[in-house]
Amino acid sequence: MEAMNHGSGAASDDDLVPSEYLTFTLGSEEYAIDILKVQEIRGYEPPTLIANAPPFIKGVINLRGIIVPIVDLRIKFNLGKIEYTPFTVVIILNIAGRVIGAVVDSVSDVFSLTRSQIRQAPDFSGTFDTKYILGLATIDNRMMIVTDIERLMTSADMALIDSASE
Amino acid sequence: MTIDMSQFYQVFFEESAEHLAAMEGLLLELDIENPDSEQLNAIFRAAHSIKGSAGTFGFTDLAETTHILENLLDRIRKQELGLRADMVDAFLESGDLLREMLEAHQGRGEVDPNAVASICARLRQLSADTPAAAPQSATTQADGAMKHEKLVDARTFDIQFVPTAVSAKGDGVSHLLEALRSLGALEILSQPASDMNNVGYWQLRLLTNAGLDDFSDQIDFIAENGAWRVVEESVVNDHNGAFGIFDDSPGAPNEDQSYGFFEPLDSAPSLVSAIAEVEAKDDGYGFFDPLPSAVESLRVVETAVGDDGDGYGFFAPLSQQVAVQPLAEEGDGFGFFEPLPPVTAPPSQVSSAVAPSAATPKPVEKKADELHTRAAKSAPAATASDSSIRVSIEKVDQLINLVGELVITQAMLLQTTAQMQESAPERLVNGLAQLERNTRDLQESVMSIRMMQISFVFSRFPRVVRDLSAKLGKQVELKTSGETTELDKGLIERIADPLTHLIRNSLDHGIELPDTRIAAGKSPVGTITLKAYHQGGNIVIEVGDDGAGLPRNKILAKARERGLPVSDQMTDQEVFLLIFEAGFSTADQVTDVSGRGVGMDVVRRNIQSMGGRVEIESMLGVGTRMTVRLPLTLAILDGMSIAVGDQTYILPLSYVVESFQPQAGDIKTLSNQARVIQVRGEYLPVVVLHELFNIKSCSNSFTQGIMVVVDADGIKAALFVDALVGQHQVVIKSLEANYRRVQGISGATIMGDGHVALILDVSAIAGMAKTSLQKVG
Repeated sequence: MEAMNHGSGAASDDDLVPSEYLTFTLGSEEYAIDILKVQEIRGYEPPTLIANAPPFIKGVINLRGIIVPIVDLRIKFNLGKIEYTPFTVVIILNIAGRVIGAVVDSVSDVFSLTRSQIRQAPDFSGTFDTKYILGLATIDNRMMIVTDIERLMTSADMALIDSASE
Repeated sequence: MTIDMSQFYQVFFEESAEHLAAMEGLLLELDIENPDSEQLNAIFRAAHSIKGSAGTFGFTDLAETTHILENLLDRIRKQELGLRADMVDAFLESGDLLREMLEAHQGRGEVDPNAVASICARLRQLSADTPAAAPQSATTQADGAMKHEKLVDARTFDIQFVPTAVSAKGDGVSHLLEALRSLGALEILSQPASDMNNVGYWQLRLLTNAGLDDFSDQIDFIAENGAWRVVEESVVNDHNGAFGIFDDSPGAPNEDQSYGFFEPLDSAPSLVSAIAEVEAKDDGYGFFDPLPSAVESLRVVETAVGDDGDGYGFFAPLSQQVAVQPLAEEGDGFGFFEPLPPVTAPPSQVSSAVAPSAATPKPVEKKADELHTRAAKSAPAATASDSSIRVSIEKVDQLINLVGELVITQAMLLQTTAQMQESAPERLVNGLAQLERNTRDLQESVMSIRMMQISFVFSRFPRVVRDLSAKLGKQVELKTSGETTELDKGLIERIADPLTHLIRNSLDHGIELPDTRIAAGKSPVGTITLKAYHQGGNIVIEVGDDGAGLPRNKILAKARERGLPVSDQMTDQEVFLLIFEAGFSTADQVTDVSGRGVGMDVVRRNIQSMGGRVEIESMLGVGTRMTVRLPLTLAILDGMSIAVGDQTYILPLSYVVESFQPQAGDIKTLSNQARVIQVRGEYLPVVVLHELFNIKSCSNSFTQGIMVVVDADGIKAALFVDALVGQHQVVIKSLEANYRRVQGISGATIMGDGHVALILDVSAIAGMAKTSLQKVG
């Protein structure tokens, strides 16, 4: 009985247990992703081009012996100025057993957010499909778009994974 | 304590599959007229191992079927039954069924319960066709004994033990005595002298309704490690004291091998109940009693044998002196009791006769223990002649990856020092040279871990040939050579299906029926040869037959019928390769074996996807030989690095025929779209790589670059590149692990400077060039 009480208690507490989110900027927008999906953050290095790939796939790099595709989210979502400087950042994500690098303008913070702090995003149409948005969170008057990065990266329009494997 | 058995399942599945494979191989080798007892023993052992571990892991269906199989095998092994061809068939079928069961347990496929029932019935039937002298199953005996046991109320136990110093000093012994008294009437026969402080030899007699289980734990707790025993002296309502009568005829048939070679006793319920009781106890441990008597030794056997696996103890002459000697010459690890002089003494007399020998138990116990472990060890040794360990393939791959990294780092260092030129200290240069050698050696030996003998694949073919030739009414002999040739495990797994197909094809289309063969002046028995050897950096596997050969005209006619572009001027090689086209079959009628024309195209595709190719040589009426060439490994590739714009690509060297600098005007266009170039009298499609890959090229005209002629399985093309950079051994990395398949790219590698270079998929590129040319043409 005690164990069951404990279990149900944890479920209701779930909204209060904070999860950590990494925030990054694309242009003027700030995005937050689950930090557990992030493997590491590194500087941008010119990747090896992949022929006939969509423009937002910059190519592949050698990450300590693993071939990792690099996606430029700025190109994908038409945000920010596309330039590669020594300060351009690549977030290496570990998603669905795959390692993928995402180019962003900058990485800003790590926040703890509880589920109750994440508000439902209003429905709108645009390049960024709302199905990849978990919700919106506000901290210090900054609005962050909490993104389901796993769903985004494994989606068909990212063309990162063979459609056969989906 | 519960152990999660599921973690061991995978090992069990693998081992059982190996045992099944070994069993099948041995069955096929078996000479039915004159079976080799060694082979029979080996087959029996394989079946027994499967049964043992299946039982341990709770796969009762497997254990039951193997049990029936094993019984029959055992009787053949002991020459009670003659081996017959139908038995071998039944064994092979049950082997197949067991494999299906194994797969079903792994969640693949299902087992038809009817098939299981029918094979079990067949095996039982086979084992029932016997001289009726065979005794009924020991299990029935045990059952009877169990029933009997229930009737018996009070039994007398003779308890002997030596307490540990700790428990003797405390109240351990007195607690034990109290506990025993609570169970029934306790009589202390002997106890240590009072000044010994309870340390010493105790002998008790307990008359109780309780079973051995009720108090053996307590005794075990008190007693010195293993220094205790309990003998059920006899049942109170005595059964003629027919106790411990061992017949001196080993080889007496038994239903279950686990019982060793005891002649069943018609009136020895107490003996049997003793067995039954021990059996009821946890007999999973090699428990040896220090004081052997007739019953004791019996128990030793019981426990040792009941222990599963091949861990059969070696026990020998059991006389009243109870000497236990190993039967060293009996190398196969099964327990044998040597003829026993009849021990007709009533039980009490036996134990009293044994009592004086109480001083000897320890060495005997030790020896038995040692033998037990040795016998247990011999089980895996039987499957692999040399010692080996089982390592998961992931670990090996991880190791290979790490070594690959090391090679890259080493190359990077080498490049750096090369740039330093004169300024590099000599010691550094020498050290790096040594590092290069060492890493190369390391890489070679690590790669060799993944290498497996091709016999792993070849071993399945005798069965294929046997079944299929019987089905087709042909007489075929399979000859294999070069089974020890090693190739990468990944290739081994993938080559099995194409090879099976080639062999089936040879059998069905190649080898003629015996009558036809005799008419053609050949031996009625056809021969299929399977050969593997190294040639250059390749593994060559040949599948040859001395059959009818490929009918060139028939193939050409069939090809025309199907609208394939053929001409009479085509070389034999080109004509024969037509049989690899999808849906192509020259068989006059479709059988369930082959003839649908599905398969050969799959064969070629599979082999090509491994980086290999197939060639056919054939002579009408003499035979056909198909040669499969495979790279040694999938992980390393000899490549030529080429520059296209600012990018570097790797071209697998095996595809490269030649390269040259084109002259102005060499390149002609067809319909102003496709380009061709004449090379040695042949017009080849030109693939301009920078156009294919949308890269800005450094060269403005064709004269500034290089043409590389590639040959991908007969399809030739000229690739236009900016420059040839060099030749490397590259470690192939998967692009698909984190990305997806890219058209025209087969993989990626990491260059010496740490950059990624993509490996070109030459077959795909040449294929694209050909189709684009055909569209234009």
